[in-house]
Amino acid sequence: MKARRSALPGALVSLAMLAVCAAAALPTDSLYQLRATLTTQQGVAAGFDVYRGQPTVISMFYGNCPSYCPMLITAVQVYEAHLDEASRARLRVLLVSFDAAHDTPQRLSELSKLHRADPQRWTFASAREPDARRIAELLGFHYRKLPDGSFDHSQVITLVDGEGRVLASTTKLIGDEAFQAKLAASTAAPR
Amino acid sequence: MRSRLCLAGIVLLCAAAAAAADNPFVPVAGAEFRSALPSGTQERVVVPGFLLQRHPVTNAEFLAFVSAHPQWQRGSVPATLADADYLGHWAGPLDPGPRAAPLQPVTRVSWFAAEAYCEAQQARLPNWYEWELAAAASATRRDARADASWRQQVLDWYARPTGESLPAVEQGSANVYGLYDIHGLVWEWVHDFDSLLPADADPERFCGSGAQNLQQKENYPVLMRIALLGSLRAADTGHGVGFRCARDAEVKP
Repeated sequence: MKARRSALPGALVSLAMLAVCAAAALPTDSLYQLRATLTTQQGVAAGFDVYRGQPTVISMFYGNCPSYCPMLITAVQVYEAHLDEASRARLRVLLVSFDAAHDTPQRLSELSKLHRADPQRWTFASAREPDARRIAELLGFHYRKLPDGSFDHSQVITLVDGEGRVLASTTKLIGDEAFQAKLAASTAAPR
Repeated sequence: MRSRLCLAGIVLLCAAAAAAADNPFVPVAGAEFRSALPSGTQERVVVPGFLLQRHPVTNAEFLAFVSAHPQWQRGSVPATLADADYLGHWAGPLDPGPRAAPLQPVTRVSWFAAEAYCEAQQARLPNWYEWELAAAASATRRDARADASWRQQVLDWYARPTGESLPAVEQGSANVYGLYDIHGLVWEWVHDFDSLLPADADPERFCGSGAQNLQQKENYPVLMRIALLGSLRAADTGHGVGFRCARDAEVKP
């Protein structure tokens, strides 16, 4: 018992140190260099680097979007459907809404269920200003609010490695073979 | 009596030192405004009142920021957030040196850095409509855009070659709000700089489809701003690109 007692804080300290070192080691060209706060479908605050350590597909959307955004979600599902099961299990998906006023955790959660997204691997989140625009800038994603409350926006799907470095991005919702190949390579079994 | 005199003396001293070394937030009254950038189908946009810094952020002001926030020093800032020329004309990470005088506007700063600077002042970058509203004013009128001689005066600056060294801030005259250097010194980042044109407009084809949506085609100074900002990426740092910060107007109880 005594040994346990002394070992535990020691282990915690090393863990904390490891975390500090890992944070310091983030590559200079990593998207995770940006500190931004998201609210997830579970209603908890998360960093933009919520999926650090895993290859991750990142894109932006808003829930009231009539046509493109449901297509975007389906498109990501089609891209990942082309992966074998083990590769797919290694992939993460982060979809960030830039309409935090409307996309509450409850709505995000509904959206997740509607699209039958795997909550173990997919996160629907929202970001407030100015973080939403900072994330958009990193991804090369453009949006602007129109007077009727809708948004005019571009489309881009970005794939990053575990350290947040961009591996590939596509503006095609379907059939971008180069993007598909990068997706397969980044999620392949480690040799 | 004596203490009152002392107080007056202190106030005077402060006022003298405050000139360009201080960069207060100046109120800009809200307006319904005819923008060069239509918002959807509406030509007029409503801009609530806000506060804008009196002059572009200077090298001295930016030095204080990077001293307090080492992650924004040259050499420490991640490549994702600023390109390799970030503060490239400074002598060192904490030394602006002879090519960046204290009262010159800071340039070669990325949009991410400008955002972080303003956040550290409990402020934000202005958005485009705010900047455009402030930039429509002459020394005497809130909206001088129809005044051909004022427009020419502004255009003359754009035609002037930019030398190696920028003038100090507040060398010219203030506009009706008391703001300096809105035109005539540097380009300025705005928060929504890259979303000024429709999402499907290709900035490289600005002269084509993108420009067809623009109003007030005679308003070259503003159209040039839009074109320049649209051509930048958020990590870019330009020789002539600086910024100033804004705040929401204080709501009166």
